[in-house]
Formats: sequence, C-alpha cells, structure tokens
Amino acid sequence: MRPGFSPRGGGGGRGFRGGGGRGGFGDRGGFGDRGGFGDRGGRGGFRGGRGGGGGFRSPSGEGGFRGRGGGRGGRGGRGAGRGGFRGGRKVTVEPHRHEGVFICRGKEDALVTKNMVVGESVYGEKRMNVEEGETKIEYRAWNPFRSKLAAAILGGVDQIHIKPGAKVMYLGAASGTTVSHVSDIVGPEGLVYAVEFSHRSGRDLLNVAKKRTNIIPIIEDARHPHKYRMLVGMVDVIFADVAQPDQTRIVALNAHNFLKNGGHFVISIKANCIDSTAAPEAVFAAEVKKMSSENMKPQEQLTLEPYERDHAVVVGIYRPPPKQKK
Amino acid sequence: MSSFRKALKSNQRNHQERSQPGFRKHLGFLEKKKDYKLRADNYHKKQNTLTALRKKAAEKNPDEFYYKMISTQLKDGVHMKKKKREEEVEVTEEQRKIMRTQDIKYVEMKRVAEAKKIERLKSELHLLDAEGKQKNKHTFFMDTRREVREFDLARHLNTAPELLDRVYNRPTLATLEGCSLQGATRPSELKKLARQRRHQYKILSQRVEREKRMFVVGQKIQVRKDLLDKTKKLKVKKETATTPAVYKFEAKRKR
Repeated sequence: MRPGFSPRGGGGGRGFRGGGGRGGFGDRGGFGDRGGFGDRGGRGGFRGGRGGGGGFRSPSGEGGFRGRGGGRGGRGGRGAGRGGFRGGRKVTVEPHRHEGVFICRGKEDALVTKNMVVGESVYGEKRMNVEEGETKIEYRAWNPFRSKLAAAILGGVDQIHIKPGAKVMYLGAASGTTVSHVSDIVGPEGLVYAVEFSHRSGRDLLNVAKKRTNIIPIIEDARHPHKYRMLVGMVDVIFADVAQPDQTRIVALNAHNFLKNGGHFVISIKANCIDSTAAPEAVFAAEVKKMSSENMKPQEQLTLEPYERDHAVVVGIYRPPPKQKK
Repeated sequence: MSSFRKALKSNQRNHQERSQPGFRKHLGFLEKKKDYKLRADNYHKKQNTLTALRKKAAEKNPDEFYYKMISTQLKDGVHMKKKKREEEVEVTEEQRKIMRTQDIKYVEMKRVAEAKKIERLKSELHLLDAEGKQKNKHTFFMDTRREVREFDLARHLNTAPELLDRVYNRPTLATLEGCSLQGATRPSELKKLARQRRHQYKILSQRVEREKRMFVVGQKIQVRKDLLDKTKKLKVKKETATTPAVYKFEAKRKR
C-alpha cells in the first residue's frame, strides 16, 4: 500500500473489516441460541418432546438458522429449544459448605439438593438439570422461606451434622417437604426417621416416603418416644421443628432414647410459640439454658432473618465426650 | 478506467469546510448550505401550515352543523359526551353496596394472583447475595473465657478468611480443594446468567410492590363500603397513601 492511501479505499483493508464483522455476528448468534430459547427448551425436554434433534449437533454459531430448520420438522419451537436443554449451560452449581447441599446460580438463585428420585418434584419445587460429560444430575430447589433448615444453611450455620450416610431423626416432619431434602442429603446410605403427629400431614409424609426408601415415617406423638422405640435405632442427629412450648423437653426425651453419646441436635425455635409475650432473644436464651440442664450442650445459635421473623436455630452436642486435659 | 479515477481520488487532499474566520467573528456563526436547508425547510413547513389553516378558515361553511356539537362539552380541557337526562338513573344504596363488594372481590382476586406469583418466584430466588437484606445474628457458645478471647471466625468455620462475608456459602478448605463448579463456568455465560438473575429479582420486587399496593386499595374500598352503613361513626384517623381511614362506629345492639 502506498503511504497516504486511506484505509477506506484499500481493497485489503476492506477485506479485513468484512471478515471481522462476520465473526462477530456468528458469536452473537451463539449466545442468542442458548439464552433466548433456553427456558422453553428445558420444559419441552421434561415433557418428552424431542423435537428436531437439531440441538445436539449445535456448535455455538448459527443458532437462528437451525431453529427454523427444526420448524420444518413440525414442532419448531421445541426443536430449536433443545439447544438450550443442555442444562449445564443454564446454571452453575457450586458445592456448599455442607456436604450434599449445593448452590445453583443461573436465572434462578437457589439452594438445591441432588434429587434422589430423578424426575419427580415433591411439593412442586423447581428442578434443574446439569449435564457433566455423560452423566446427567438433577437438583431440586430448597426454599428457605418454607424450610427452617434451609434458612439456617443460607444464614451461614457452621454445622448441620446432616451429611451423606448420617442417621437422622426428624421431629415435626409435617408434609415431608424438608424431610425430602434431608433424605436427598443423607442419600441411600443414610436414614431419616420422620416423626409427625398430625394424620393429615402424615398422609403426605407417607407419600413422600413411598418414593424415598431412606425415610421411615412415624405418625406418633414425639412426646411419647416409647411408642415408636421398636422402630428406631440409634441416630447421629436429631432435627426438631415442632413449635411447641415444651419443645426442648420433647427433644431431650428423644435424645435420651435414641441419640448416641456425642451425637448432635439441631433445634429450630419459634419465639412466638414458646412465649409470645417475652422478647425473642430472652426466649432463645431461656431455651438454651433449658438444653444445658438436659445434658445437651449448645454450640451455636443463629437467627433466621431475612427468611423468618423471630426464629432461631440452635445446634449442639448431646453428652459431649470429656475433654482431654493438656 | 473508473478504478483508476477512484484511485486518483484517494490521492487528493480531503475537502475541508472552513468555519467563521477569527476577524469576522462578530458576524456570528457562518452558515453553510446544510444549515440553511434546515432553517428553510422549517420555515416553509410552518408557512404551509399557516396557509392551509387560513384557507380552511376562509372556506368554512357558517351553517355547518353536527349533533355532536350540542351533545358534547369541554370538561377540564377534555371533550366529553354530555349525559342524557334519562341516563341519570338513581343508584340505590343497596346496589352501591353490591358494586363495592364486587370491586373488593376483584381487587382481592388480583392480589391473591400476585401473591401466588411472588411465592413461585421466591421458591427459586433465595436472596443469596441480595444487598440490603436483613442481617441475622450468629452466636457461638464457648466453654472458657480463653476460648472466647482467642476466637477466630475463619479458623472456627475452617474456611478461607476471604469467604467470611459470603454467608450463604462458606465452603470448608477441604471442599475448596476437592470439589469444582459444574455447569456454566465461562465468563461470558456467567455474565449473561447474572443479567438474567438481576432481571428476575427486579420482577420479584415489582410484584411485591404491586401486591402491597393492591392490599391498600382493597382496604380503602372496604372502608368506603362500610361508610355506607347508617350507624353513627367518628373519624379517628385520616386516610394516608398506605393506610385507609379509621372510623369508630357507635356500638349498637343488634337482635
């Protein structure tokens, strides 16, 4: 090129610009493919609508064109959506501090557990799929606005002691929403004894237990552990969400019967249910004191804002082993 | 040949328009053809409009009449249809009450629909690192004063000190070493997801706001409805933007 030759006129210059432009467009097409149809594609997949099949072939570029190609096959929208169904692209799953729990960040911003019964929601919660190489993993969203345990986990509790392979006694199981997540965490090696007094919610609990073999539902009053003593072995952790004024006593009774020495307890306390006139902090303090007198040594306490108001979770150890003197 | 001419052009010096020279600055901005064009077009457009209007006025039929001329009137600058005499039907008290009830029911229905949508959104948006969310309180119980004195949060939680503020997930050191992220990890993907997430949160906050407003509206209509009651009442509190007025009704024995 001669000096003073403006790049606009130069043939070589123009060629270069053209190439760059095309490259850029291709990129954009790729993103559009993944983002735009992502959601619809995901749902189509669950319903078994395998449209087009074009999605699998997709490299990142030319998303728009293939979408239209699928349309010729009949169910255009779905077909194009399959590209988005490679769920891994839509969410990032990071392992949580507590084993068996994960954080799922995509369009959603959720605490999740790995679904033990793939393809089924327990209470209408959202499921997310992640494809890692060949294996597909399904996660279920765990709503901290409904579950105290989830709220405690997101609040940054140090230990929940519920981990894969653990044997857990769950007092106040209700319909089994949180129980289902606990069963996800402990996995097939672990066990969950879910105690619930109400027959009505017990019915839902039974339905959950039908699908999940590691849940043992017990429809009994937790105040009378001797009624179900033949069903329950030694457990590692007791989780209690019973919302009764004599809650600590109930937990202590069960702990004396089933909790191993050095086992742990996690109690969710609703201040209103214990004493609606006293200040919440005072109620929590009183409960913690009661625990100490029952051989239950509290280790940490956590309030559940912003998910619940005037709630606290207390985690502790039962009959701790004596400390070695240095 | 033409290509040669074009190539020659590239060799030319670019034509540059001059602006007003300094010594003529007192004469103001030096107008160019394109500036003149703008000014002239604007002027002619206005002139044409004026001529058109003048013509229309000149050719107006003074006897022109339409019925709308007598059936409408200006109200606060808006052209409104006058009400016919027969249409002014008296609405009875009873009917008015029913209408209020229907209003309340409609607002309530909409509010419940909104609340359900909020619930659904909340089930997958867990305010992980939302700003300005309520802080919780975390207490650790220790045996001795010495332990309290030597307490180090990062060591106690067995995590990296940088992660202490990341309350929703403070992985242990073992987890940090052993496990990795799954799914989307490319920066471009993450950026896109973050944008979508922000959008979802925005929708959620808007819905929460709307639900609140609808609740207030429902309450205010309820108060108006209650006011139709004939019993004696006393206003206790004025209505505000977020709360309905409060009335005290005379206690009356009903049999």
